Amino acid sequence: MSAYAPGTRVRARPGDPAHHTRVPVYVRGHVGEIVECEGEWPLPDDRARGVTPPRVEAVYAVRFPARDLWGAGAHSVTVDLWESYLEEVTP
Amino acid sequence: MHDVGGQSGFGPVPVGDEDVEPFHADWEARVFALSRALRHNGVFNGDEMRDAIERIPPHEYLAASYYERWLLAIETILEEKGLA
Amino acid sequence: MSGRGERSGEHDGLVTPPTKEGFDDHEDLPVAARVRRLEERVVAAGLTTDDELDAILDGLLRNASPVNGARMVARAWTDPGYRETLLSDANAAAAELGFGTSGYRLRAVENTPAVHNVVVCTLCSCYPVSLLGPSPGWYRSFAYRSRVVREPRAVLEEFGLTLPDDVEIAVWDASAETRYLVVPRRPEGDLPEEELAARVTRRGLIGTAAV
Repeated sequence: MSAYAPGTRVRARPGDPAHHTRVPVYVRGHVGEIVECEGEWPLPDDRARGVTPPRVEAVYAVRFPARDLWGAGAHSVTVDLWESYLEEVTP
Repeated sequence: MHDVGGQSGFGPVPVGDEDVEPFHADWEARVFALSRALRHNGVFNGDEMRDAIERIPPHEYLAASYYERWLLAIETILEEKGLA
Repeated sequence: MSGRGERSGEHDGLVTPPTKEGFDDHEDLPVAARVRRLEERVVAAGLTTDDELDAILDGLLRNASPVNGARMVARAWTDPGYRETLLSDANAAAAELGFGTSGYRLRAVENTPAVHNVVVCTLCSCYPVSLLGPSPGWYRSFAYRSRVVREPRAVLEEFGLTLPDDVEIAVWDASAETRYLVVPRRPEGDLPEEELAARVTRRGLIGTAAV
């Protein structure tokens, strides 16, 4: 069910859909690392638009280094993202 | 307007706003209960609610309090669905 | 926006001038009347009932409290088996103490000497209400939501929490269907479970206080 194993490097898709979505702008286009899979959940983009049945996808905790997001900072920020929000980064 | 992660200009965190009481006014509690009940009864789902909040024009969004935004969202959804 | 000062504003008839504090003071303001009208309309349309609304609020006020999260943490501090359950399947750990967590995945993140965790929802204000009680205004504020992902150390300083430089900060943005609960570090001393639970604050469970 989950395509990405912990440690996999993924990029949050860039772009700004016209409808409800759950990719915070501050991670779009950035590369992070899969922490864990959180199970499968209906896609909010579909649920918000009344698409029935909504697509159901794996959701991942993805960790981003603050330095990549903001140009500074030693902390990490972990964001929960549906699988279709992500693309694998080829090494 | 809702997607504020990393934006600057909002000033210090209102750390004194601890809200030991869950609601400041009875109408806030009623809005909370309405949202829960209407979602539970399948009138709309949580993402339709979020979407309706996010569609509030920025000037209204910024001027409204937290539960005023919920109220606006519920009114908008019910009107769009022609339900009440 | 949160806080009484920020509530003033004028838009589409939503006029809510600042007023003295108090639960019932807003009763006769236009917004309260608007909510009453809305409630009447949805009840008339058969979408809910007054009894259902009352039961929801009753359940919330009776059952949802940070005391619940504090009890889970104190149990984890004193019972290694429970700690393991809490860290691997937090929904099961909540259920074991009789707390409901329906509709979301609960994830407990444990503070260590090397890592301090802090939770936010930048997109709205998602939060495990049944375990922490309704969220505080600062958690819902734009200032907290915008800044804690960017400058958590400065934000924690505003809460009076100064972390040593070598402690790494892990920020968790609850952007999907997982709700996070921070397990603070156990206070020094050989205290019994109930006394430990009494030490745990809502801020500690969110990560804006040490305990």
